Amino acid sequence: MKSLRALLVTYAGVMPSMLMLVGFLVLPLAIILVFSFLTPGPYGGVEPQVSVAAYVKLFFQKDLYGDLTFNSSVLEIAFRSVKIAAISVLGCVLLGAPVAYYIAQQPKRRRNTLLLLITIPFWTNLLIRTYSWIIILRDNGLVNNFLISANLTEAPVKLLYTEGSVVIGLVYTYVPFMILPIYAALERLDAGLIEAARDLYASKWRSVTSVVIPLAAPGFTAGSILVFIPCLGTFVAPELLGGGKHLMLGSLVQMQFAAGRNWPYGSALAMMIMAVVLVCLTIFALNARKTGGGMQH
Amino acid sequence: MRLNATTNMPLNRLPESKPDLKKDKQDVVIPAIEMTDLCKVYSGETPVNALHNANLEVHDNEFFTLLGPSGCGKSTLLRLIAGFETVTSGNLKLFGEELSALPPEKRPINTVFQHYSLFPHMTVLENVAFGLRRQGKSERDAKMTAKEMLDLVQLDQYAQRYPKQLSGGQQQRVALARALAPHPRVLLLDEPLSALDLKLRQSMRVELKRLQRETSITFVFVTHDQEEALAMSDRIAVLSNGRIQQVSDPATIYEHPENRFVADFIGDANFFDAKIDKVDGEFTRYRLSTGDILLGPTTEARSEGAEVSIFFRPEKATVSLDLTGGLRGRVKDILYLGDSTEYRIYLADQSEISLKAENLKDGSPLAEVGTDVAVSVDPNAIRVLSR
Ligand SMILES: Nc1ncnc2c1ncn2[C@@H]1O[C@H](COP(=O)(O)OP(=O)(O)OP(=O)(O)O)[C@@H](O)[C@H]1O
Ligand SMILES: [Mg+2]
Repeated sequence: MKSLRALLVTYAGVMPSMLMLVGFLVLPLAIILVFSFLTPGPYGGVEPQVSVAAYVKLFFQKDLYGDLTFNSSVLEIAFRSVKIAAISVLGCVLLGAPVAYYIAQQPKRRRNTLLLLITIPFWTNLLIRTYSWIIILRDNGLVNNFLISANLTEAPVKLLYTEGSVVIGLVYTYVPFMILPIYAALERLDAGLIEAARDLYASKWRSVTSVVIPLAAPGFTAGSILVFIPCLGTFVAPELLGGGKHLMLGSLVQMQFAAGRNWPYGSALAMMIMAVVLVCLTIFALNARKTGGGMQH
Repeated sequence: MRLNATTNMPLNRLPESKPDLKKDKQDVVIPAIEMTDLCKVYSGETPVNALHNANLEVHDNEFFTLLGPSGCGKSTLLRLIAGFETVTSGNLKLFGEELSALPPEKRPINTVFQHYSLFPHMTVLENVAFGLRRQGKSERDAKMTAKEMLDLVQLDQYAQRYPKQLSGGQQQRVALARALAPHPRVLLLDEPLSALDLKLRQSMRVELKRLQRETSITFVFVTHDQEEALAMSDRIAVLSNGRIQQVSDPATIYEHPENRFVADFIGDANFFDAKIDKVDGEFTRYRLSTGDILLGPTTEARSEGAEVSIFFRPEKATVSLDLTGGLRGRVKDILYLGDSTEYRIYLADQSEISLKAENLKDGSPLAEVGTDVAVSVDPNAIRVLSR
């Protein structure tokens, strides 16, 4: 009995965080998992009848004779989603890393102001911010008007409703998630190490590539994960800036829960996103271990 | 390369040194570092004037030390030489070439940092090879030279470790090897021994001195430890409040300090305000504020009645129970120091002086606390400063 009490005492301390985890993470996930194995209700929702139809539907469709034939369209969308998310991560690194580096170089008080500025876009609704990109990118939008008035092009360049515009929207939305962790890593970096590199004949640029970037790697990793995952599941940018022509997995999920009224299928798609994320992260982690071979942390 | 006969450590050959430009012009000796009216002001809300008109020459192949209390501007001076700070005004030359416009990576100068600043993501070998690689050496050559350098600091078996896996003393030697490997014209060392314990510090003193002799590289060494400075340096510059107070060899600094700051900062000293009572040829009678008369050397350009400050070092005086001559006082404290014993003595006006007597025999004190004693000082050991 004594040991049970000791156990209780030990676990009482972690109870609140356990409850949080269960409430916010495990429970919703469990619901999605259960839903994916049920039958769709006529007006959305689910009927309590076990079925794997939703998973079958991911890869097969019924042809005219009622036979199941392989359907690659979901896989294609998954593949495109990974591609667009990966390109967006790259875009966020290219844009976010210099910004993070610049902020980390500023005097302390200025840094906090700049960090606050980074978060300003979050103060307005995502939908509205994404709409404003339409105004910028459309055929008679800001960019094209400028290009035409500067005589750089005669006819407007097609910018909107391309994969490019989706990437722009995603980079714009998620770049703060890249900036903040990289900044955190850079801020912790000992400035003396950069001086040591310069002292040992490394140019400014060389000291960044051989000292700053390797030591800020954890920040880059965290930022990439923080950007990659929501990019995969997003539907706002593909919908508005992709014109519905460049669907991503997130759009599919959203469709099943809205107009499609097929909750089990939507849940199965959500599980698939999780699977894709897991696979990608595993590949990423294996790669990191190989290249970062001797790193001791 | 000269060999050091006093140490039995394995002496390994150093990588080939660069051709010495100085050898061509034998008559003109170009200083390794030359500063003229060098000033540094840190701008900011309240600008800090960290260095005032420094004029200094560091000779080639010299172990030169910058000595001064915390905040006096030693690191500032070093960082100006390394190129991490920009010169506010004045000139800074390395072997006759103006340095001010060169970024750190273009200066043939390396630094041993106070906190070592080893790259944590590189092995010991990669750390040491870093500068060589940046100099354009091939990976193979760089690694080979790096291995030789690790050999030199007796760390060859740690080449594949990461800095975190080494003790403080070992990290310190890696930092040394890393800075020496590219064979710089000048090596800067910013309090490299301050983080080590006493025993290690003492053995590193010998080691650093040996390395300087073997490599023939000019060392500029920063410390606030006067003992370290005296033990290691060919010459010392004493700094205070961003000003150079005196530049001399250790013995001159200790025996003939030019001002009160230097006298006080290096070693211990008993100061007195005094008035010149009578000049008598080689010696002068000084009347102390206590009323006592002390015989000291005659200095030029000081006439009778002049107000001066005089001092002597604790080990230059002797204490005796025979009260017929010298300064009269009473023993207040006796401190047994092992190799010597220190006596704190009250004088007539309640001012306190300190004396040190070597413990040649068994170290039993010459006098007890509370006894009246006489203190006598050899007139040649008295130093006179302007007030
Ligand atoms: N970056 C800086 N900005 C403003 N003031 C500075 C800066 N660096 C140093 N100082 C000031 O300049 C003066 C000299 O500093 P410095 O670091 O050269 O002293 P130091 O002799 O090396 O001291 P320590 O023995 O403590 O290392 C100090 O008053 C210090 O506060
Ligand atoms: Mg310092």
